[in-house]
Amino acid sequence: MDREILRRLELLNQLSLTEQEKESVIAFFSDREKDLETLDAIDTADVERMVHVMPIMTVVREDKVSQIFSREELQAAAPETDEGYWCVPKVME
Amino acid sequence: MRYETVIGLEVHVELATSSKIFCSCSAHSYGAEPNSHVCPACCGMPGMLPVVNKRVVDYGMKAGMMLGCHINRTTTFDKKSYYYPDLPAAYQTTQWFAPVAVNGVVEIETSKGKKNVRIKQIHMEEDAGKLVHDIREDTTHVDFNRTSVPLIEIVSQPDLSSAEEVEAYLERLKTLLRYAKVAECEMAHGTMRCDVNLSVRPEGSNKLGVRAEMKNMNSIEAIKRAIEYETARHIDAIENGTEELRQETRRWDDIKGKSYAMRTKETAGDYRYFPDPNVMPVVIDDEWFDSIKASLPEFPEVKKERYISEYGLGEYDADQLTKSIALCECFEAAYGVCKSAKDAANWMISEVMSILNQKKMTYDMLDLDGKALGELILLVSGGTVGRANAKKILAAMFDDASIEPKAYAEANGYVVSNDTGMIEAVIKAVIAADPKSVADYKSGKEKALMALFGKCMKELKGNCDPQTLRKLLIDSIS
Repeated sequence: MDREILRRLELLNQLSLTEQEKESVIAFFSDREKDLETLDAIDTADVERMVHVMPIMTVVREDKVSQIFSREELQAAAPETDEGYWCVPKVME
Repeated sequence: MRYETVIGLEVHVELATSSKIFCSCSAHSYGAEPNSHVCPACCGMPGMLPVVNKRVVDYGMKAGMMLGCHINRTTTFDKKSYYYPDLPAAYQTTQWFAPVAVNGVVEIETSKGKKNVRIKQIHMEEDAGKLVHDIREDTTHVDFNRTSVPLIEIVSQPDLSSAEEVEAYLERLKTLLRYAKVAECEMAHGTMRCDVNLSVRPEGSNKLGVRAEMKNMNSIEAIKRAIEYETARHIDAIENGTEELRQETRRWDDIKGKSYAMRTKETAGDYRYFPDPNVMPVVIDDEWFDSIKASLPEFPEVKKERYISEYGLGEYDADQLTKSIALCECFEAAYGVCKSAKDAANWMISEVMSILNQKKMTYDMLDLDGKALGELILLVSGGTVGRANAKKILAAMFDDASIEPKAYAEANGYVVSNDTGMIEAVIKAVIAADPKSVADYKSGKEKALMALFGKCMKELKGNCDPQTLRKLLIDSIS
């Protein structure tokens, strides 16, 4: 982790960190990198690749339509709505 | 220097399910009130958990099998970070690490012959909502009706090299997916969308050029124009240094016929994919896999060969009929009733397909009862209804699916008359009114007979066996 990677992550996560926060994040991720290096040292050549840490699988549902919630209920806590739409700050000039 | 264009496609196809991919809201909201098909799950409200729609996996597998892919028997969902208000959770649930289908191949045919296009993967994912920017100046309006509608994204390898090949590839995808009935694939309806990755390199080079990804193309014609424009732009930049090519996403403006840079292209790392902890792996057991495999349709080429070998159709007829699964189903149902493949094929190609063309409908939009068509064909071959009137009945059947040909023919006076007395009376009147044609025929002008025949048939409203009429007419004149 260095300043350039952190700058990229800030941009991607829409964050703006203070100098103090930046130092702390860099220190945190640098430690985690060391953890990964430790894990990397383990020989996993004979270990089968797993897709999930638990031996479980999803349940699926039948393709049936049901409409449980009304728009009014869903928008009750919205800061702003208009003609059935949610309103957000303009995202396009 | 000669250049070659290298093209890979990312094709999004909306799956024809009833409900959304992770919740039970309707997946069909075209023309509906905004946010009338939404729930806390597809609105991304905290604490909501997705539950996978089985049919989405069915269709994902089916599409994979149609495109010659390997099916991952354990397939997983991942989160793709994405900050934009059309996806309220700030990530898209998609597949990255173990997509449902990988490593397929699709054969296409162009003027240069046959070619294989490799499929990298097919992954299942949720669609985004719709943003409306022009209702008010200060806000963007958000409609989540389309959010979480199921999609598959079909990612090809960069194996395409011209607009013609891209068109052939997209048409092939449409045909195969429509045969499998997993998707409508109509670009005009937005149920098939295409992003084009394009670069240009000197012919024979192994190194790929700088890649541009083009979005916002809603017809095959627009895609072809965009490819031609973008190829010329790249060559111009390489040869004349008109601009520095950058890896970027570009928007195609079909009205202006130009592409514009939208943003510098993200890399996969920018999306920070990670396994979605809310959706457990989907494990496809043998029973599930086999049931989907057994449900695959006959492929177009196999069907075509069968039409030729089993039904005795010519190459052209078999080719026309197998252009669309809707045509095949109508033809097969008609054949099942009338028992004449040749008659059924003739009616399909010369009448049904021409009505579709007149109505500017695609072949896949055909919604005609094939059995009823078979009955209509029997009425014609049995001499009960004349061909001209049968065409009128067919046209009516297009507008009203409940029409039964025989009852409709009787109700509208389209049944052929066997009353020779009545036919002779009509002939007598026609001859009396047109002595010139009678004289012409007698002097050897065969065409004059046809004129008289036409007038008689018109008077009889087409309800007469042509051979009977011709014989009675000749007898009357002689």
